Amino acid sequence: MTVSLSPARGRIVGARGATGARVGRFVASNTLLIALVLLCLFFTTQSSRFLTTGNLTGITLQSAILLVIVVPMSLLLMSGDVDLSVGSVVGISAVVTGLAMTQWSVPPPIAVVLGVATGTVIGAVNGILIAFGRFSALIVTLGMLAGLRGLAEVIAPRPVYGFTPWFSTFGSGRSFGVPYLVMVAIVVVAIGAYVLGLRPAGKHIKAIGTNREAAFLSGVRVNAMSFWLFVGTGAAAGLGGVMIAARLNSAPATSAGVNLELDVLTAALLGGIAFTGGRGSIRGPVLGVLFLGVLQNGLTMMNVAPAWAVVAKGGALVGAAALDWMTRRTTSADT
Amino acid sequence: MSATALSIEGLRKSFGAKDVLRGVSLDVEIGEIRALLGANGAGKSTLIGCLSGALQPDAGSITVDGQVHTGFTPRTAFDAGIAVIYQHFSLIEPLSVADNIFLGDERVKHGTLRPREQEAVATELLQMIGAGFSPRTEVSRLTVGERQLVEIAKVLRREPKVLVLDEPTAALGEREARLLGERLLQLRDSRDIAIIYVTHLLHEVFSLADSITVLRDGAVALEERMATVHHEDVIAAISPSYQVETRRRSAVVGDDAPVLSLKGLHTSFVGPLDLDLAPGQVTALFGLMGSGRTEILETLMGMRTPSQGQMFLRGRAHRPGSPSRAIADGFALVPADRKQRGVFAQLSSADNVLLPHVQRLATPIARHRSRERNAFARVADRVRLQPADPTTLCRHFSGGNQQKLVVGRWLVDGGDVDVLLLDEPTQGIDIGARGDLYRLIRETVTETATTIVFASSDPEEVLLLADRVLVLQRGRIVVDAPADSLTEQDLLAAAHGSSTSELESEVA
Repeated sequence: MTVSLSPARGRIVGARGATGARVGRFVASNTLLIALVLLCLFFTTQSSRFLTTGNLTGITLQSAILLVIVVPMSLLLMSGDVDLSVGSVVGISAVVTGLAMTQWSVPPPIAVVLGVATGTVIGAVNGILIAFGRFSALIVTLGMLAGLRGLAEVIAPRPVYGFTPWFSTFGSGRSFGVPYLVMVAIVVVAIGAYVLGLRPAGKHIKAIGTNREAAFLSGVRVNAMSFWLFVGTGAAAGLGGVMIAARLNSAPATSAGVNLELDVLTAALLGGIAFTGGRGSIRGPVLGVLFLGVLQNGLTMMNVAPAWAVVAKGGALVGAAALDWMTRRTTSADT
Repeated sequence: MSATALSIEGLRKSFGAKDVLRGVSLDVEIGEIRALLGANGAGKSTLIGCLSGALQPDAGSITVDGQVHTGFTPRTAFDAGIAVIYQHFSLIEPLSVADNIFLGDERVKHGTLRPREQEAVATELLQMIGAGFSPRTEVSRLTVGERQLVEIAKVLRREPKVLVLDEPTAALGEREARLLGERLLQLRDSRDIAIIYVTHLLHEVFSLADSITVLRDGAVALEERMATVHHEDVIAAISPSYQVETRRRSAVVGDDAPVLSLKGLHTSFVGPLDLDLAPGQVTALFGLMGSGRTEILETLMGMRTPSQGQMFLRGRAHRPGSPSRAIADGFALVPADRKQRGVFAQLSSADNVLLPHVQRLATPIARHRSRERNAFARVADRVRLQPADPTTLCRHFSGGNQQKLVVGRWLVDGGDVDVLLLDEPTQGIDIGARGDLYRLIRETVTETATTIVFASSDPEEVLLLADRVLVLQRGRIVVDAPADSLTEQDLLAAAHGSSTSELESEVA
C-alpha cells in the first residue's frame, strides 16, 4: 500500500471540541513536519553543536543533491512510474564532467553543461523505451543502474580530480551565507512546486498516475508526459552528478551516487508520495530529504556508528508506514 | 432544426478474424435523442470506441457537422465535436471538480494555470445541470450520481455537437436516473446538440428517446422513430426468437430440504433477496450487466460481505468471509473473467485443474504424482478436454477448453463441491465447447445432486440449461419461475424493466 504522511484524509473523530479537532487535523496533515521539529529538538538536547548556523547550513548542503533529484522523481512517481537509475546517472555525469575538465580541456561551464546533458540523454533513452516502447520502467532503469555504473568505471578507471578553482568554488562557496549548491536546490524545488501546482502538467501527472486510460481519453498526451518526466529526472540526476563532483572536488566512478536512488525513494515515501501514483506534493519529499539529513547529521554528532544511522533510516520508513496506517484507520472510522 | 449532426456511413471494424462492425450506417439529427440498443457483443461498444477515438475503424466514414472523417484519436474526436461519457467513470479522484472538468484542456496564461477562471466556468456549468456542489470539491468525496454530473459538465464545456452516453444510469439509483433523464431532455431543448443514449433499459428508451437504433451482430437491425415502434419490435430486433430445442428436465422442482437459503440478504447493491435453492437443480440468474448477478455469486463465495440478512447452508448459518472458507464449506466459483480470474495461463493443464487438490492428494512428505495423473485423466475425460494432455500449457488451449479446465477444477473426485457457481460460463466460447459445457453441467447435476447456480446474459442459454430461472433487475428478483414456463421474450422484457402493460401506458 501507499505510505503517506502529508495529505489529510477526512476528519479525525473523537469527542474533542472544535479546537481539539483542528489540532488533530493539523497533526494528521503535518506529521512529517512535527517529526522533523521533534528530531531537531532531540538532537539539540544531545549536542551543543547541533543547533548552530554552521551545522544547519551543513545539513542543507548535504541534502542539496538529494533535493535536486527527489523533485522530478516525485513527479515521476506521482505519474505511476519510477526511475531506479539515478544513482548511476549521477556517477557517470560526475565522471563526464570531471573528464571534460581534466582530460578534454573543456572550459568548466561547458563541462557543467556536458554533465547535465549526459543525464538528459540517458533520461531521454529511458523515456523513449518506457513511454513509447512500452518497456517496463523497473527493467529499463534497473538495467541502466547496473550498466551505467560499469560504464562510468570503464571510462574513468581511477578517480578524476584536480579541477579548476572556479568549479570547486561552485561546490564549496557561498553567497550571503547560502551555499551555491543549496541555491541550485532551491531553484529546482521552486520549479517543481511551480510545475505541480500551477502548470497544467501538474494536473496531467496526477491524472496519469490515477488512471492512465481516463487521462488519455481526456486528451492528455500521456506518453509525451511520461517521456518528459524521465528526461527531467535524468537531467536532474545529471545536475546532481555535476554537484557531487564540485563538492568532492573529484569524480570517483566507483562511489559517486552509489545507493542514492534508495535515499531518494525513501525521502519520497516519507514525504507522502503514493508509489501507486496519483497523490503527493513537493513539500512532502523536501521535508523527507531534510528529515533524512537531520537524522544522519545528528546521529553522527552523537558518535553513533554509521551502521546504526542506516538502521535508523530504515526504521523511520517502517515507522512512517505504520503511523500512516494508524491515522488512516482513525480517520476513516467516520465514513 | 432538422440538420444532421452526425452521419455514419458503412462503418466496419474487425478484431482479428472477428467482424464486430459490418457496415453500420446511422444518421442523427440536431435536437434528437437517439437510443442505441443491442445485446452484449452486438457491436455497441466498438461503435462508441470508433466515435470516441479509442478505436480506428477499418472502413467507412463519420461526418460530424458537415466535416467528413475516416477515424479519430481522442483529441480529434473532441475537436470534431463528439463527446463520449463512458460507463466506467473516467474522473481523476485526487483532483478537484474544476480540475477534472478542464483536464487536458486547461485555461492558461503564459503557461500558468488560471484556477479562478476555471472555477468560474465550472460553477456555471454545474448550475446549468443543477449540481449543488462546489467546483473545488475533490472528486473522491462525491457520490456516484454527483460524479455523473461532473462527467456531463466536463463534456458540455467543449460545446459538443454530439453527446454519447454509454449506459449512464447503470450505476445510478432510480431517483438519480430520473433526474438525469430530465436534465438530458432539458439539454436537448436548450442547445444545438444530438444525443446518443446507449442503454439496456427499455423504459428509459420509451420515456427519453426520439428514435431508436438496434444493433445485432455488427449491423443495424432496426431503425425507427419512437412514435412508430412497439416494444415487441425492439425486443425481436435485439434477439430474434430462436427455435429452442426440446430439452430433458431433471427431476421436478423438489420438495427436498433446501441446500442453501437466503433470508433478506442485502449487499451494497443487491437486495433484499429471499431464496431457497434445492439440491440437484440448475438455477439461472438472468439479468443485464449491472443487475447484480455477479454480486450475488460473489457474496455466496465470501468475496463480499452482506450488509444485511443471512445465508444458511443446510440450515446452518453460512458466513464465509473469504473464498477459502467458502471452498471448505463446499462452494466453488467459475468466474466470468476467465483470463484474469479463472486460469493460470502459464501453468500446465494438470496444474490448472489440480491446484486446489494437490495438498489433499499428496503424501505427508511430497506430491503424489500418480494420484494426480489419475485424477487429471478422469477430469479430462469427463470434460472432454482437447487435447487431453496434462503437460500442455493452459494458454495453448482454446477458450472453450480453458473454460473446461476451470470447471473441471471443481469436478475432481473427492473435491466435494456441493454448490457450484458459474458466472457467464460460456462467454466467448465456440459452439462446440459450449455444447460440451452444457452437457457437463447437466450431467453433473443429475449424477451428483450438486446445486448449480449460473449467471448469464444469454436468454437462449438460460432456457436451455436451467431448471429454474431468476430474472434480476437492479439487484432485485423480478421473476422466479420454472424455465419451461418462460420464453426468451419474457426474459428480455423482465430484465429490461418493463412489463407489457407498463410499456403501453408509457407509449400512450
